Amino acid sequence: MPLIEARGLTKKFRQAVKEPGLVGSLRHFFTRKYRDKLAVDHIDFSVEAGESVAYLGPNGAGKSTTIKMLTGILVPTSGSLIVDGLVPHEKRQQNARNIGVVFGQRTQLWWDIPVVESFNLARDMYEIPVKRYRDNLAQFTEILGLAEFMNLPAAKISLGQRMRADLCMALLHDPKILYLDEPTIGLDIAVKDSIRGFVRSRVEERGTTVILTTHDLGDIEDICKRIVIIDNGRIIHDGDLAALKDTYARDRVIHFQLARPPESTALICAGLPTCETTTDGLRLSVRFDRFKFAAGEIAAAVMPHVEVVDFRIDEPEVEDLIRKVYLGQLNLSTPESAGAPETGELAGA
Amino acid sequence: MAASVASGVRSARRLVYLYFRCLGQQMKAILAYEADFVVLLFSAALVQLTGLLFIWTIFQRIPNINGWTFWQVVMMYALVFVTEGVGSLFFEGTWRLSNLVYTGQFDQMLVRPLSPIVQVLASAVGFNGLGNLVTGFVLIGISITNVPVPWTPGRLLMLAILIASAATIRVAINLGSAATAFWISAPWSMIPMFVHQLGEFAKYPITIYAVAIQAMVVIAIPFAFVSFFPTAWVFGVDAWSLPGLLTPLVAIYTMIMAVAIFRVGLRRYESSGH
Amino acid sequence: MGGIGKYRSMARTSIEIWFTYRTTFVLNMIGSIFYVFAMFYLWQTIFLGSPGALAGFTWPEMKAYLLVSFVLSSLMPWFAEWNMSMDLKEGRIAIDLARPIDFQASRFASAVGPVPFEFGSAVAIGAVVAFVFGGIALPVDGAHAAVFLVSAVLATLIKFGLVYCVSMTAFWTTGTDGITVGRVAVQNLFSGALIPLVFFPDWLRALAAVLPFQGMVSTPALAYLGKMDAPTTALMLGVQAFWAIGLILLGRLAWRGAQRVVTINGG
Repeated sequence: MPLIEARGLTKKFRQAVKEPGLVGSLRHFFTRKYRDKLAVDHIDFSVEAGESVAYLGPNGAGKSTTIKMLTGILVPTSGSLIVDGLVPHEKRQQNARNIGVVFGQRTQLWWDIPVVESFNLARDMYEIPVKRYRDNLAQFTEILGLAEFMNLPAAKISLGQRMRADLCMALLHDPKILYLDEPTIGLDIAVKDSIRGFVRSRVEERGTTVILTTHDLGDIEDICKRIVIIDNGRIIHDGDLAALKDTYARDRVIHFQLARPPESTALICAGLPTCETTTDGLRLSVRFDRFKFAAGEIAAAVMPHVEVVDFRIDEPEVEDLIRKVYLGQLNLSTPESAGAPETGELAGA
Repeated sequence: MAASVASGVRSARRLVYLYFRCLGQQMKAILAYEADFVVLLFSAALVQLTGLLFIWTIFQRIPNINGWTFWQVVMMYALVFVTEGVGSLFFEGTWRLSNLVYTGQFDQMLVRPLSPIVQVLASAVGFNGLGNLVTGFVLIGISITNVPVPWTPGRLLMLAILIASAATIRVAINLGSAATAFWISAPWSMIPMFVHQLGEFAKYPITIYAVAIQAMVVIAIPFAFVSFFPTAWVFGVDAWSLPGLLTPLVAIYTMIMAVAIFRVGLRRYESSGH
Repeated sequence: MGGIGKYRSMARTSIEIWFTYRTTFVLNMIGSIFYVFAMFYLWQTIFLGSPGALAGFTWPEMKAYLLVSFVLSSLMPWFAEWNMSMDLKEGRIAIDLARPIDFQASRFASAVGPVPFEFGSAVAIGAVVAFVFGGIALPVDGAHAAVFLVSAVLATLIKFGLVYCVSMTAFWTTGTDGITVGRVAVQNLFSGALIPLVFFPDWLRALAAVLPFQGMVSTPALAYLGKMDAPTTALMLGVQAFWAIGLILLGRLAWRGAQRVVTINGG
């Protein structure tokens, strides 16, 4: 029985269409014209307890609309949505007890009161048993390093500190589901790491289900096993992240730095079929499919022909992959089996 | 049956408890910030006192206004301010709603397991309310010593109920007009401010107004039950006493209406996605 | 662009800002209609209940008095003060200090810019109220009207001077909001905005006479109604001028003191 189940979930917005200028305003006053915007278009998905799902899509794709429906803030136009046996918008407060939410741009903390008081208020609101509250608070304080600003009001702490406090507050009541919306935006790398590590440990140790929307692919790689991509209100991919990388992010690139520019690359290319070899002054780059060759093989094929001074390896970027998807250059079909290279089309890569 | 009554009582107690928890935190925070809230207190008192002087000056020249004596008018005036004080001190949050909706911060409240109405009401404190409360109560206290009808414990109890009802009506009007934020998106509360100013009429006996205004202030937005009718009952003015007794009912009715408007607005907010 | 030019553009900017808030302003003005109506009904009841005139005022004269009071009160409303205190709170003063402008003059330019619009709106509302209540008294002749205009200008200067001085206190306190509420209340009473000063008992009249507020409403309103004879008019105009100049000078003094505070404490 999945924890979250959506069937044919749809959200249609009615936008009033108004022409600019005075004439437009007057006309709008008397006769309203509306345009329908289909933000979420009959999507199906289900999430089991303990999964960590990255929910991606270009801006305006329908991500935040979906999240709002999941958290009960928005009423779907049609379709069904069940979260832990409840319909979120009908039983909003009950649903709220099961979830923790971290909005990157806004805080759940009360603004003018000390952070620890926000936690205490949360304890009362969620009716957390005292012992569990104290244990959780102590543990989170240590892991997230909250002690130094516990007594400062939210208004006076830095963004990184606030995000850590928000994360703590979202998890104090041990929710079943944690929604993270851009949780690491604007943060420095040290804070990002500690937040990602903490969330990952919750998934692994406590079995918390995590739904993450983000543009930061480091977040995804660190936290999520599954990736769902939405575009124009429809889900265009839903599957295992590792499998996705195995299927589409297969290329590694070795950059060799040479002592002298090579006279010709013909010999090198001959020794490396299906590889893409380019030169640029003193640099020779070889792009290869990592399932076909090992880095050592590539190096062994190159070094006899040229004098190599230094080299560097670029790993496959999920970022490139996603960018291509957003740009429509990469067309993904629905769930793949791992390591099947010939499905999906690379258009004009 | 008994089980659902018990759980109803429990959730009501929880709401009240959490309300005061949130409000208390706000108060602590504001006290830390506002050093000049003392000035605010005195300013509020000053406003009432100058108003009192105004009324007193008028009554130096004329014996009564439309049959209403000095202390009756003072009481109406004081009731307007006392109820405003209660509103500012305990329920200032209604003025924030427009901004919360406009900036999207309202969503935070929807994700918590607590009624958004309670959260909104508890979200702000206006300490000028304290000045209004104290001064207003002093004025009421003095006024009631000038009442021709002798005071019994029963009458005193009724007075307390009337004041509480009047405050409730005020808060309900604020809440109801604040809820218009769900329909009209604006950075700050324009309509609630507008409705609030209707309260000017409540400072004086409504018998001086044209019928249209009387109708508006009695039926549409019942400011008349905040000051006029309770005063009429307190002073035993036969013609208007009976409606005075209706004040608690009007209070319950306006509160129900305000919560209903809020709920409808909330549903709209949740459907249209702001 | 010398002298006046920069102030003119400040005034223009202020009008633009006011324009973006116009909906709020209009709603506020309409809301203040309730206040005006309440006052009119109150006084109407009072006058109907008493024979002849009250303290030398007939009902048409009283109506005129109330409307003149309303129009004058609508000029440079709390917006100006709020803007000033907001600027101070947000530390924009540092920027202004670096500019080659006279601070007080720039504040005046900002405050005075929207005045024509405020005046227009108030007169429009006043006309509606006057119509509903059956007309008001008008100035006796052109000379009186002219005196009234002079007095009104002086009244506005006094108001600005006072608002400016009060906003200066923000340098020494944590905020002016509280003081403003109190100031408005006291001002309303002693300027004659609520009730003509002649209604006051002697001791209160004496107090009002030494305060600057009466020049803000009472003097121009009485000039409008022609209730002062020539020597009294001259005297009252002189008192107005005295307060206008005095408050403006006081403001300049306060500013010099404030500059010292700012440069020592770093804004």
